[in-house]
Amino acid sequence: MEEISDPIKARLKVLAFIATAIFAILFGRLWMLQGVLANEYRRLAEENRIRPVSVDAPRGLILDRHGDPLVKNRLAVVVTLEPERTDDRTLIKRLSKVLDLSIAQIDSRIASNKIDPIKPRVIQRDTPDAAIAYIKEHSGDFPGVELKVEAIREYPYGELAAHVVGYLGELSQEEHEDPDYALHELGDMVGKTGVEKVYDNLLAGSKGTEYIEVNALAEPLRVVDKVKPDPGNDIILTIDRRIQAAAEKTLIDGILRTKKNKYRNASSGATVVMTPKGEVVAMASFPTYDPAVFIGGVSEKQWTKLTADESDYPLNNRALMSAYPPASTFKIVTAAAGYQNDVMTSATTVVCTGRWTGMGEKWGKFCWKRSGHGPRNVVGALEESCDSFFYDIGYRLYKLPGERLQDWARRFGMGAVTGIDLPSEVEGRVPTAKWKKEWNKNNPDNQAWFPGDTVNMAIGQGDTLATPLQIASMYAAIAADGVIYKPYMVKSIVGLDGRKIRDIEPEKTGDLKLPSDQLAAIKDGLRRVVATGTAKGVFAGLNVTVSGKTGTAEVFGKDDYALFAAYAPSDAPEYVVVTVIEEGGGGSTAAAPAVRDLLAEIFSEGEAE
Amino acid sequence: MISGRDFARRVDLGLIAATLGLVAMSMVALYSIAAGSLEAGGFAAKQMIWVGIGLAAMTLAALVDYTRLRHLSVLIYILNISLLGAIIVSGQVALGAQRWMMIGPFRFQPSEFTKLFVIMTLAAFLSERKGEISGWRDVLLALAYAAPSIVLILLQPDLGTALVVIAAIAGMLLAAGVGYRQLASLAVMAWAAAWAALKFGVLHEYQVTRLVTFLNPGVDPLGSGYNLRQSIIAIGSGGVFGKGWLSGTQSRLDFLPSSVRHNDFIFAVIGEELGLIGGAVLLALFFFLVSRALRIAQMSRNYYGLLVAAGIISMWIFQVMVNIGMTIGIMPITGIPLPFVSYGGSSMLMNFMSAGLLLSIYARRWR
Repeated sequence: MEEISDPIKARLKVLAFIATAIFAILFGRLWMLQGVLANEYRRLAEENRIRPVSVDAPRGLILDRHGDPLVKNRLAVVVTLEPERTDDRTLIKRLSKVLDLSIAQIDSRIASNKIDPIKPRVIQRDTPDAAIAYIKEHSGDFPGVELKVEAIREYPYGELAAHVVGYLGELSQEEHEDPDYALHELGDMVGKTGVEKVYDNLLAGSKGTEYIEVNALAEPLRVVDKVKPDPGNDIILTIDRRIQAAAEKTLIDGILRTKKNKYRNASSGATVVMTPKGEVVAMASFPTYDPAVFIGGVSEKQWTKLTADESDYPLNNRALMSAYPPASTFKIVTAAAGYQNDVMTSATTVVCTGRWTGMGEKWGKFCWKRSGHGPRNVVGALEESCDSFFYDIGYRLYKLPGERLQDWARRFGMGAVTGIDLPSEVEGRVPTAKWKKEWNKNNPDNQAWFPGDTVNMAIGQGDTLATPLQIASMYAAIAADGVIYKPYMVKSIVGLDGRKIRDIEPEKTGDLKLPSDQLAAIKDGLRRVVATGTAKGVFAGLNVTVSGKTGTAEVFGKDDYALFAAYAPSDAPEYVVVTVIEEGGGGSTAAAPAVRDLLAEIFSEGEAE
Repeated sequence: MISGRDFARRVDLGLIAATLGLVAMSMVALYSIAAGSLEAGGFAAKQMIWVGIGLAAMTLAALVDYTRLRHLSVLIYILNISLLGAIIVSGQVALGAQRWMMIGPFRFQPSEFTKLFVIMTLAAFLSERKGEISGWRDVLLALAYAAPSIVLILLQPDLGTALVVIAAIAGMLLAAGVGYRQLASLAVMAWAAAWAALKFGVLHEYQVTRLVTFLNPGVDPLGSGYNLRQSIIAIGSGGVFGKGWLSGTQSRLDFLPSSVRHNDFIFAVIGEELGLIGGAVLLALFFFLVSRALRIAQMSRNYYGLLVAAGIISMWIFQVMVNIGMTIGIMPITGIPLPFVSYGGSSMLMNFMSAGLLLSIYARRWR
């Protein structure tokens, strides 16, 4: 037997020492990772495996003032495609056939949905039953295609109040970058117009989150945790469904009647019904559209049709997006300005010979009634809509320093948005010397403000423009004895359990401060318009007294626009009604009958509702 | 027949217990991996077969008088060189390297056995010098004796195995009494050679990439750095007590790729599911195994036995250090399996054979 020398045995101790050192280092590092840094690595491991995916909140309903839903939710089947299948051309071809969508449409839907990488892409919403059945039966042919149930909008009354409630569409890229839409993700349905847009944040609620476990290939495995979405609030409108329906019907009837009555171009118009305190009870605009076409994502064809010139822009809410010459409905402004600038009193008379020559024989202007009205004071001039009287008052105002008539037009709310809670409202126009110079900057011969400009403006012609809503607001101011309220669409906001979150009260935004005698004279004039004046007979047989004013706007190159602004009952006004019919001819023949029919409906026995 | 008491004196039950403990932990981990997906269903079962074969081989090796193997060392040497040459000529391509060889239905990885063969032949070569290896001449002779095997392994190329062999040789030179100054010089030379290899592109690109990744794991989070990062997350997130058996999210959800979690990265599965406690138990088992092996080396009745034991010890220590070190980010990724734990038949068989050799040395420590 060999004798092993001690130095060699000592070498084994060195090996033992090295082994011990290595094990100590390994253990030290393990201690570091698993003892000291464990929480950090736990977080990283959770980040690996858990993907938060947002869950849409049920959108709030939109109800009329009596709680009748104008916009509801209904469950519909949504066809989605897993993101990893979006390159499968044969699958997309198959989907295109079954869903009746073009391949380009499907591709654009996939591309426009650059959302969460594991969130399935929405290919179609509200898929018809036949297609659903086909996909279910042939599920093997549709890998990665899922049928999900989602709440979508439903419109129990179809087109009713379409312009007020608005429609939904997928969040656009620009909206995505807008902080107002911070609650939304790409692919979400958001309000594009109307109340849906203005109150989007309240209607939308806040999203929930599902925490989904995924594997390394990002395939979802199971839901680990869930935060429930917070449903959106319901919106109660100031709209009265019954009156809204009547406003739409009488507007269409009025337009059709006018069309038959020589005015073949008449095809569009608007009606506004509001209380003197600004609650908009009905708002109609024609032509209109069906918000339901936007549910599945509006098709290219439908969109082209809805925005085409020959369709007369059905998406536009003419009640506040179109500004018209107010014509004779403006005369109440001239009257108030005349009083307040001391250029007239209730006793002031002007003799109408059919041609007013206040600025000299050369600059004579015709009254609409060529045979003349004879001597008229303000009440009589309103009653018969005598142009000569208001020409004269306009000229008197012109002669004062400043722009007195324009100032009063603005006091009535013209030339500025009313601030109603609907989008895209236009300002209209109050023409001034400064405006004219700017407007005609390429036409140096027509930059000066002439006395005739103010005189024209006094009867609502010339360059003055107002929306039907502004005109309604002007007449509401008279009906409310000079106080101006901001028009509004929403009466209250209701939470999930029916508890009211907010009630919206009328908001006073101005006061004409007209003395009662002046107000009484203007009101007397408006009452006489209906009783014995330009609208005589139209309102006969109605069970309510009506005050109002006709307007017939001359529009260059077109037939006259017909206007009628009214409030009723005359002595304690509850409703202000304005109807404009484009190219409808005379205010008394085209617009006033539509207003009459509407007031008849409003004040029928159903009124007590 | 030998009595029970005699048996206990002749058999190192501690060493056997350590190997069985390690195998048990391997089974625990492989079963967990298998439960994660159907495809890997056979891991634990297949490994069990290899454990059985390994135990038989260990018994056989323990029964054989190891001193007889010493006289066969020239034969073993030739066998080893031929085997390595054959792989290069005809081996199947796997992972861009020729490492496998089919023997019947089994896929063998001959380089695993090479480790043991080099240890046995070099031990025979060194033991002839009986502790007198102090001159440069003997050292260089010893290196020249081992060099063909190393070169052939590198040609496969299998850097991991080559490193293990080099570590075993280093351990044996240390145990053989080579002077510290010479050992230090050899270390410097090895370092210089490695540097030159890197510099002049002897290493394959993936080997360089792995080294770079080791030095800076953030470089390539989805490439070669991905495994390392997921491994560290797995182990770290296991914490002290682990996420529980069959509950490791990193391994069950494939963040730890299925291609590596049963072999090179099996420690990450253990660390994640069984935590610091599981990792410490595993390290303790290895430490115990190495201690028993050191004790056997100490008791060997001849230089040959001592050097074989020293080679096996060095091999195991190095593999544990590099494999576990790799999964916890303190060693480069080299594809070196964890002895008795990583999935793989050749490795399991070779390690049990090594344990059998140690048992043989232990049983014949007298006379």
